[in-house]
Amino acid sequence: MREIRIGSVHFFSLVLMFELGTALVVNVGMEAGRDAWIAIFLGCLVGMLVYTGYNYLFKLYPDLPLSGYTRAILGKPLGAVVVILYAVIFLNGAGRDMRDGSALLVMAALNRTPILIVAAMMILSCGYVLHKGLEVLARTSFIIMVGVLLIGGIITLLMFFSGEMEWSRLQPLLGDGIKPVALSVIRSNYMFPFGEVFCFTMLMPYFGDKKRAVWVVPSAILAAGLIISFTALVNITVLGSDMVERSPFPLLATVSKAALSDFIQRLDVLVVMLLIIGVFFKVAVYYGAAVIAISDLFNLPYRTLIIPSAIIILFSGMLDSRSFVEHLEEGAEMLTFVYPVFTIVIPVVLIIVAAFRNYRSRSRPG
Amino acid sequence: MKKKGQSNQGAPAGGSGNTATRAENQAVLNISNNLEQTLGNIKRELGSSPDLKIRKFQIGSAEPVWVAAVFMDGLINAVAVDEFVMGALFDNSADAAEEMPREPQERLQLILDRALELGEIAVKDDWNDMMLSLLSGNTIILLDGCSKAIEGGTKGGEWRTVAEPSSQIVIRGPKDSFVESIITNIALIRRRIKSPTLWTEFMKIGTVTNTDVALLYMKGRAEDKVVDLVRMRLKKINIEAVLESSYIEQLIQDKLFTPFPTVYNTERPDVAAANLLEGRVVLIVDGTPFVLVVPTVLAQFLQSTDDYTQRFDSATLMRLVRYMSLIILLLGPSVYIALTTFHYEMVPTPMLISLLAQRENVPFPAAIEAMIMEAAFEILREAGTRMPRAVGQTVSIVGALILGTAVVEAGIITPVMVIVVALTGIASFAIPSYNLAVAGRIIRFGFLVAASMFGFYGITLGLIVLIAHINSLESFGTPYLAPLSPFSIRGQKDTLARLPMFTIDLSPEKLGNMNNDNKSGNDQGTSDSGKDGRTGA
Repeated sequence: MREIRIGSVHFFSLVLMFELGTALVVNVGMEAGRDAWIAIFLGCLVGMLVYTGYNYLFKLYPDLPLSGYTRAILGKPLGAVVVILYAVIFLNGAGRDMRDGSALLVMAALNRTPILIVAAMMILSCGYVLHKGLEVLARTSFIIMVGVLLIGGIITLLMFFSGEMEWSRLQPLLGDGIKPVALSVIRSNYMFPFGEVFCFTMLMPYFGDKKRAVWVVPSAILAAGLIISFTALVNITVLGSDMVERSPFPLLATVSKAALSDFIQRLDVLVVMLLIIGVFFKVAVYYGAAVIAISDLFNLPYRTLIIPSAIIILFSGMLDSRSFVEHLEEGAEMLTFVYPVFTIVIPVVLIIVAAFRNYRSRSRPG
Repeated sequence: MKKKGQSNQGAPAGGSGNTATRAENQAVLNISNNLEQTLGNIKRELGSSPDLKIRKFQIGSAEPVWVAAVFMDGLINAVAVDEFVMGALFDNSADAAEEMPREPQERLQLILDRALELGEIAVKDDWNDMMLSLLSGNTIILLDGCSKAIEGGTKGGEWRTVAEPSSQIVIRGPKDSFVESIITNIALIRRRIKSPTLWTEFMKIGTVTNTDVALLYMKGRAEDKVVDLVRMRLKKINIEAVLESSYIEQLIQDKLFTPFPTVYNTERPDVAAANLLEGRVVLIVDGTPFVLVVPTVLAQFLQSTDDYTQRFDSATLMRLVRYMSLIILLLGPSVYIALTTFHYEMVPTPMLISLLAQRENVPFPAAIEAMIMEAAFEILREAGTRMPRAVGQTVSIVGALILGTAVVEAGIITPVMVIVVALTGIASFAIPSYNLAVAGRIIRFGFLVAASMFGFYGITLGLIVLIAHINSLESFGTPYLAPLSPFSIRGQKDTLARLPMFTIDLSPEKLGNMNNDNKSGNDQGTSDSGKDGRTGA
């Protein structure tokens, strides 16, 4: 295989598509009520802050993925254990997102298709694209991003012209004080979707232009934060916070209000397409991160791992819970208790150990 | 193989190609000192073919020497042969009465020196070279007592004359097209680019057919890396026969398992010249009017000469129409199926009512209906393509009746489905390049299946996979989606839109710089995709 070099624009689009993922369609930050959009934006800022930590590690080891520098910092045996944990969480992330996406699709559009088939199609497509390589995934994300932004622009224009938006529904701004917003941010908002960029630590070494790399991911997070926040704002102005809170896909309900004369009445299917695209990129990035971690740790060729990983993802995603409600419950708990360990605790430990070593090795000869 | 005599002759003209294998198969033959024996060998090797012509005569008055002129009837230019043979051998001027020299070498030299009538003359001492030269339409002169042969370039014979292109038609633009003769084809390009930087290399491919293949590029504009790659892949070819440029195309293309063409072909000399100016490599194969162009990008298959001969605004419109027809071709029937079977809430109510009313009498599900119609349309198209002209009318009338009216009246297919299928069919004709249209027709069936099983879910996943697939393609080091991904602002001047001529008028220096920029840039070297060089022609 040729050396992988992902260009800045393509990396940006991949991060953006990953971030928008499901977050654009499902309910984010509704604990903050009508101030959800503020909570989302704050979450995005926290996500950027978290990412600076990864950037520090990336600058120390620009040619190694997370699985590489974990072992370099913690030593081989301990590092290997941590990398295995990361591989498991990546596989789990892919499986969970796939389950999320397939369940939503079955609910929204394909109510007579078995969920396993829907999920299998998704994982097959991801596997095909990953087989073509990460560079292809990133370049594909760029073209798809252009399409998604076009769809988004059209929907936004239609919403503005339809006259359904009522700005008064946003008021009073921070009516219940900052507390619910802060709670929402701390519970899950910074993690979903912004903390999830931790899987890009596996892809960073493939970045073509190392100097720009430090800025590209945070700017993509910011762009994603602005878009999701704006979407939440539109949802609230169209539907009101009550309805948004109860709806599983507020954007679907919002978009169905848009109408252009009598012809274009239901654009829901565009939202369903956004959902499919978002789920695809989320699954593909987690899946790719897992495959890289395993191939890096066990020194196995990248392509032979694609099919075994696909099978693990498919069945772990399908078998992790008895029902979709249980699945969501589990997801919420993972966001609060499990993911922070991987996105914050372990990286902080890594940073401290690495900084300490760095300091020692620098002071010794000097 | 043969021991060399004194080497006072000109070097044998190029093209010693793939003769080695032939020598292996048969007993090694030499050009013998004995004329009769050599002529006998030639006859035997060609199986005494009646189109082999041998004229034997004596020259010199005092000590006559037997000489033979050998050529293949039909492959030669009769006038050239007459002049060559007469001029070189029967010199009627005063000093012709002089004695022929005794030494065979000197005789040979004398004949060479006298043959002023021909531009191309050489001495052959290898049997296989000589036979190849004979079969290429040259005239061979053999002297008794001399183990060398003189080859006179008398290639000729009947070729189709330059006519209007038949598959790449334009409203405005040059009306000539390539023919089967490689020499004529090179001349057609040279007439357009009168520059010494247009370089040509010849090679012979095909162990049996020994087909001439010319590799044309503009030194300084084409990337050396690409030229080397093309040359290397051509050298690697091991095939018996090359009867059309598609043989070469299929052996040098980057990827086998893709419906997309990664080698461009054209029968228009102006298109070939424009591509040369853009730094691409052109391959001309003897015996076919279709020349190959590499490297290529997807956008090129949606361009036409008309884009440059019309105003930029109308050219942009035409181009967008083509892109739209590609999308309709790929997605037309599948979107219809997805809408009517999975997402009917998207269809406006009055239209939905009329659709369902139509479907009332039709026994098949929409997916089957679409499959039947698409298959019928493909059959009709295939029949129409290769139909003798006299019966062509029948096909179109019967096709129009069956697929248009009868099938609806019989209650087998809904009228809307007929419209959808007809639209896709027309869309496939709007794509300027036949092989891209075929790719679209193949992929369309994939989308049809995906849509009939999963609705828009299948279409969306299919689109992602399709884009990833196209993204993974490369043509001689150039990414297939080049100006779109990897993205370059400069490339956009002539990809989806065609901006006014002054913006894409790049002087050669700039073009060269641009290639270098791309090489050193962080993305892989992308050659410019547009037809920027056209204005330089």
